[in-house]
This record gives sequence, C-alpha cells and structure tokens, in this order.
Amino acid sequence: MSHPPLFVLKDVSFRMDDKDILASITLDLHQGDFLAVLGASGAGKSTLLRMFNLLASPTSGMIRYRGQPLDVDVRTIRQNVGYLFQKPAIFNGSIKTNLLLAGRWDINLANTLDHELREILDQVELFDMPLGRNARDLSGGEQQRLALARVLLNKPQVLLLDEPTSSLDPKLSRAIMDLIKKLQSELNLTVIAVSHNHELMRRYASRVVLLHQGQIVASGSFNEVDKMNALEDAGLLKAAN
Amino acid sequence: MRPDFYILSWTDLIVSLGFIAFAIALIKYWKLDLEKTLLIATVRTFVQLTAMGYVLTYFFGQEHWLFMLGLLLLMILIASYEGQRRQKQKIPGFFVAMVVALLASTLIILGTILLFILDVKPWFSPYAAIPIGGMIIGNGLNSTSLTANRFVSELQHREGEIETLLALGATPKIAAYDSMKESIQAALIPNINAMMTVGLVQLPGVMTGQILAGIDPIIAVRYQIMIMYMWFTTATLANMIMLAIIYRQFFTKKMQLRSELLREMA
Repeated sequence: MSHPPLFVLKDVSFRMDDKDILASITLDLHQGDFLAVLGASGAGKSTLLRMFNLLASPTSGMIRYRGQPLDVDVRTIRQNVGYLFQKPAIFNGSIKTNLLLAGRWDINLANTLDHELREILDQVELFDMPLGRNARDLSGGEQQRLALARVLLNKPQVLLLDEPTSSLDPKLSRAIMDLIKKLQSELNLTVIAVSHNHELMRRYASRVVLLHQGQIVASGSFNEVDKMNALEDAGLLKAAN
Repeated sequence: MRPDFYILSWTDLIVSLGFIAFAIALIKYWKLDLEKTLLIATVRTFVQLTAMGYVLTYFFGQEHWLFMLGLLLLMILIASYEGQRRQKQKIPGFFVAMVVALLASTLIILGTILLFILDVKPWFSPYAAIPIGGMIIGNGLNSTSLTANRFVSELQHREGEIETLLALGATPKIAAYDSMKESIQAALIPNINAMMTVGLVQLPGVMTGQILAGIDPIIAVRYQIMIMYMWFTTATLANMIMLAIIYRQFFTKKMQLRSELLREMA
C-alpha cells in the first residue's frame, strides 16, 4: 500500500499587482522525495517554495499537508518545514546566538547544551567551530551551513531550499548539496529545492517540476523532462545556434 | 534683589520677531531653502499659542471635570493627527495607535501627578492639568513620531532576519522584536542623555519659565525634576503602546510579513 502524499497542491494560484505569479499549480509530493523546482528567473519558483511553509499563501487553490489544510497551525508547520534562504540572514552575535534563534520562544531549545550544538555543527560539517565566534566573520559557505544547522535544530521533516548555493562557487555548491543529500537520507527528509541550475540539480533530485511564467510546463524524472525538450522551452537551455 | 516677575507686552513680542528676521537672513546666506517653512512655522507658533492663551483663559474659568477631559481628548486627537501627518510613509492604523498610546499615557501619568504627586484639589483644576497634560501629549507625540519612522526603516532593513525568524516558527511579535527594540532605544537614548546633562549644560524651558515668572528656583527645580521623570516615562509608555499596536499592520493573519507594504513604503 502506498503512503498518502505529504503535500497536495490543487489549482494553486498566486496573483500580485494584477499579475499571475503562479497559475493553477497542481502537484503531489511524497515523504522522502527530492523535488527540484526549475525555471528561469521570474518563473514563480520562489513564490511556490514559500507556500510550503506559509511564508506566502495562495490567492486561490488549496494546499494540504498530511491530509490537513496547511494553514491550520502556522507555527507548527514552519517548525516541521524548514526553509533555507538564498542569502542566509546571519544575526549580529555568536554562532551560538545564531543557532539558538528559536530559543527565543522555545524554552527547550534555549536550554540546548553546548555539546549538542557542536553535534549539529558537526552534522553540517562545521567541525571544531568555536560556538562563541562571531557568525558574521564566517565565509559565505560556512554561513549557509550555519543556517542549515539552525534549521536542523527544529528537527524538520521537510527542507525547503531557495537557491541555496547561488552565491557559492561550483565546488562549494556541490559540497553543500552533497551534504544536504546525505542529511536527507540520514534524517529521512523530504527536500524541495528551487534552482535555475539544472545541471547541479540533476545530480541530486529524484523529481523535477519545470515552471515557466507561473505554470508547470513539465514534471517527472529528469529523463522524462529531457525527452520533452522542456528545459529549452522553459528558457533554461540556450537554443542551439 | 529678586524681581516679582517680568511682564511681556505685545510690543516686546513684536521686537522678538527680530530673532526670526535674523534667522532668515542667516538661512538665506547659507541658501538653506527653509525661509518659507520657517515663516509658516513662525506664524503658526504665534497664532496657535495666542489662541491657546485665550482658550486657556477661558478654560481656567471653567472648573468642570468634563471640560478638562474634553480638552485633553481634543489635544490628543490633534496630536494624533499631527503624528500621522509627520509620517514619511503612511502606516495603516497609525492614527488610532497614536490616540490609544497618548490617551493611555496621559491617563496614567497625568492621573498619578494630579492625584498623588501634586495632590491637586479638585483634581481637574485646569492650572495643573492643562500645562502638564500638554507636556505629556506633546512629548508623547514627538517621541512616537520618531519611533514609528525608525520602526518602518528597521523592518525594511531587517526583512531577511524577520522572515528567517518567521520561517523557524516565531510569532510576528517575536520576529518584529529586534526592530521594536532598536527603534525604542533610538527614541529613549536622547531622553536619557538629556537627564544625564540637565542642569549642567542646559537649563530646561519649564524651569527657566517658572524662574522668569517669579517662582523660587528651588521650587522650580523640583518641578523640573518631576517633569524629566514624567517625560521619560511618557516616551517609554507611549512608544511601547504605539508599537504594540502598529507592528501587527506589517503581518498577515497567517503570520506572514507584508513585504509589499514595506516596499510601498520604501
């Protein structure tokens, strides 16, 4: 017997300033999926991603999470569905301060012991990093790992990645994505990654959804999408000269 | 020998306009483009205060609690309108927030002063309630206007941090806390600095006015001390109430940051 989908999106649309950012998106997502949402800039990828943890809500249509409407308990959803931003917001203060942001409202988290924090840092391969070090002194790649560790402290079941490696060089991008892939299998995470880099995503994603001007133009495995020549149609491949 | 007091005549006042003429000359020399605004402000100062003088004379003759409350409410409404007008960007619901913040601070602080500190009898005596109420409302207006402007720019500046906190499960209040803290601190620090240096580098207006009007400096000083404490608490209270109301305008019911509102205000 197959499990019911983790997320169900039905006819999800989003309008802003009389413009359709997303139009009639229908999509199922299962536990353990690694979904790549690809598309050119302005295709609506980030808006779609933001809907999975309610940073944005559809203007019309419905999103269900484990069979329930997504917006019943906003805060619990956000704790279960972690979001890694394109440019991580690193707060003024130490690595520990940045890790324990959620300790501002979660007393259990606020009492996390230092050795537990170090374990999380090890998990994101920030080995031997002093907890007291100023987080703004870290490199771009290290800051992204710190932001990932911060999300992992919430023990999420889903990880949303908004172009998490766009500001990193190819080698670092691969390292971060390798890490995410490893964490996905270790922690049984469901991952949704938005990217314009289909070459990078091809190595990691089990499914792909291709957005063009707010609509899904292709979805399936990379092989299936390749057969449809959809990447080119979505403006992700330059037309052959 | 200490004179009883100095009477300022209308002619004296016209002579004092010479200050403004001098300021305009300086402004012109530096090409600051402030002449027109200054002229309007000069006329407004004159008209508003003169009118207030007559209004006060009228109200000082009307010893009735309803008059007093009506006048204070009118002052609060005018101050709230002015506060809204002063906003660089229009914050939805700001007028109501100002009315609530000023009303609450006036009731609490003026009430305490009239009933427990000065022990004014009857409590609605206009000689105490009007000038002190005016100071509370005026100070509340100045402070909240600055804080609200600063709060909006903090939200704009911290958009990424706020969304990060929301995405981790923070309530809007927690997510906006750093912006609230920063903007209130920015409003209160000048007040604290003023308290640190008062009497050393400047003599405050109320005290100076009382001394000029013939009051014993020791008594005038006591009033000034009370007023400094009152000012600080008014600013603190009014800012906190105002922010506690307006921060909600920047979030949706689903705890989302209204980024489009922040961009409109940029």
